[in-house]
Amino acid sequence: MKKIFVGVVTTALFSTFAVVPAEAAPKNQARAVAQPDWLEKNLDNPKVRIIEVSTEPGIYERGHIKNAIKFTWHTDLVDTVNRDIINAKNFSKLAQKAGISDDTTVVLYGDKNNWFAAWGAWIFNIYGQKDVRVLDGGRVKWEKDGRALTTAVPTFAAGNFSVTKGDRSLRATLINDVLPVAKKRVKADLIDIRSADEYNGKIFAPSGFQELAVRAGHIPGAINIPWGQNVNADGTFKTVADLKKLYADKGIDGKQDIITYCRIGERSSLTWFVLSEILGYNVKNYDGSWTEYGNTVGVPIQNNSGTIWGAA
Amino acid sequence: MGSSVITSQSQQSSSPGTTGAAASLWTRAEKVRTSISFGVISLLLLIAFLLSSNTSNNTAPISLLIGVSLGLLLERGRFCFFCIFRDGIEDKNTTPFLSILVAIATGSIGYTLIFGQFLPDTSTDRLPPVAHIGPVSWVLALSAFTFGIGMALSGACISGHLYRLGQGYLRAIPALIGTLAGFVLAFLTWNWFYLNAIADAPTIWLPHYLGYSGSLIVTLLILLGVAYFVIKRGVNSEPIRNGISATTLSGALRNLIMQRWSPITTGALVGILGTIAYLRVEPLGVTRQLSTSARTFMKNNGIGPETLNGLDRMAGCVAVVAETITNNGWLIIGLVGASFAAAFAGGRFTLSKLTPKNSVTALIGGVLLGWGSMTSLGCTIGVLLSGTQAFAVSGWVFFIFVFLGAFTGIKLKLHTIN
Repeated sequence: MKKIFVGVVTTALFSTFAVVPAEAAPKNQARAVAQPDWLEKNLDNPKVRIIEVSTEPGIYERGHIKNAIKFTWHTDLVDTVNRDIINAKNFSKLAQKAGISDDTTVVLYGDKNNWFAAWGAWIFNIYGQKDVRVLDGGRVKWEKDGRALTTAVPTFAAGNFSVTKGDRSLRATLINDVLPVAKKRVKADLIDIRSADEYNGKIFAPSGFQELAVRAGHIPGAINIPWGQNVNADGTFKTVADLKKLYADKGIDGKQDIITYCRIGERSSLTWFVLSEILGYNVKNYDGSWTEYGNTVGVPIQNNSGTIWGAA
Repeated sequence: MGSSVITSQSQQSSSPGTTGAAASLWTRAEKVRTSISFGVISLLLLIAFLLSSNTSNNTAPISLLIGVSLGLLLERGRFCFFCIFRDGIEDKNTTPFLSILVAIATGSIGYTLIFGQFLPDTSTDRLPPVAHIGPVSWVLALSAFTFGIGMALSGACISGHLYRLGQGYLRAIPALIGTLAGFVLAFLTWNWFYLNAIADAPTIWLPHYLGYSGSLIVTLLILLGVAYFVIKRGVNSEPIRNGISATTLSGALRNLIMQRWSPITTGALVGILGTIAYLRVEPLGVTRQLSTSARTFMKNNGIGPETLNGLDRMAGCVAVVAETITNNGWLIIGLVGASFAAAFAGGRFTLSKLTPKNSVTALIGGVLLGWGSMTSLGCTIGVLLSGTQAFAVSGWVFFIFVFLGAFTGIKLKLHTIN
């Protein structure tokens, strides 16, 4: 009883200061991880903009967090013609239309362990937004907690978001970043976040997906830490200490640059988020990933299973 | 059947209120049958309740409830597309046809309400999520026409067979087996049709050109025009009943169970149900679970092409590979169960005669239904109703050609071969 009372009082005190996003994250959690309790108190805060980036069509429309708007990752956040991330001009338009200004706290969430929400956070960081957070546990946890959803679609007055040229230090390219590491000319930690079977070359693509690369295996020197290990069973991020230990046990301590990749760069953006935004390491996400690397002529791979595409 | 005991008790507890003249409306057999039917419905509701505590699929219980409602509506309103077409063509009784038009009208009003929120801006290339808006090509005309022939030959469309299964119509069994075979056939021919026509076919959605209000007005005007024509053609039409008159609750309940519901009421409720289904789960449709089973069977046995080009990006009752009961599976279970309950209570449950001849025609008709619906991305519910309600031109094209197919089948007397 006493605990509840103290809790209520603390909440009341906090909520009076909640006009500006407070550093309300519990101990041992980074600021970049938005806690559901905090978000629930800031749903109407004009300085907070909530964005849902989910994969399942219609899921946002049938109910989303109050005042959340929707970004569609495969059209809003990418340049489909050039196989590139959305360009600065279009991203600027998108963000301004969403009512985002330079001082807006952007909170992203999505289905499937925030898979695409993390991609969105990566894009926002590349284009220089200062306060970008991902909702802990994403949509699944929010629903499981029994928190409210609405179907009302909000509209906002245009924001004054000003785009930067794009932070190249967050994005790895094949020629400039990945190949030099693969050929051991430059030292960096490569993290392959796909399943062990994909990493070892037993399979060419995860089940349910088409083969999009003609070789199986991984980039030479990469270590395998599947992306699911970043989160607890309920989809929330592990604590800072646990995450630090998880990567330290595999020899990654943030002392040298890190490159993350997967199949198309989406899931690895979650690991990018964990290492860069929670642990504060220097990390580049390689969005070309295995579908670029595995298909490129004249670059070496490591295939522990020795599978050859097309061979019996 | 523990649940039927519960209902008999509740029946008893309510009996003091229905003594005297009203109670004598019911024969003893009717009371027993109705109690058993209430038991079946209670069991379905209990399953929905149990499903709701299962977190892995949170739309399963509502899908089951939508199925129960659909089963009741189809059975009580005799909302069978083939029967409706045949009444109009053979007997010149076009009143039942109005139920289809009313269902499209109420559904399109409901869809307008939802679309306005799901996709406020119709000027972009985007389509509202998962609405059944399909590509329009000669393939759709062909598959809809084939479906119409299949209806005539097998005696019903797919939803018709499902609810008539609940009435004891045994021909539905070979027909549905044929439908599964038809799906397999459609998966084998899909890639050819996709590459030669469907891939380049336009997906025409009226609100892109007319906005929501314009599309709704055009749809309602078309429906009015069709209704005018249909009413004029109906020289033997039965009068449209204005609901059911009864002075007591018991009498009203008896009428609900015994007498066919008015086509206007049925149509309106089907339209509302379609709206609810789209809002909460996905557009109304009855083929997804069946075609999913067919596709999973093929995959597990290595039959047919590994990839079905473009299919998974299509909007409609598109099969996926799944081992479990999908939402649509729960809908089907609810539909058949509720239809049985409604038919049994009303004394309409009779096991029909199954002969080798009428089994074969049902089977062949079923193959045509399966091929036609898979290639059209849905059937009379999934494309005709859910498509026209969503302002998809594909829905109207399907409507026209399925009618022409059924018309041809009836003129060729295919439905009398049994």
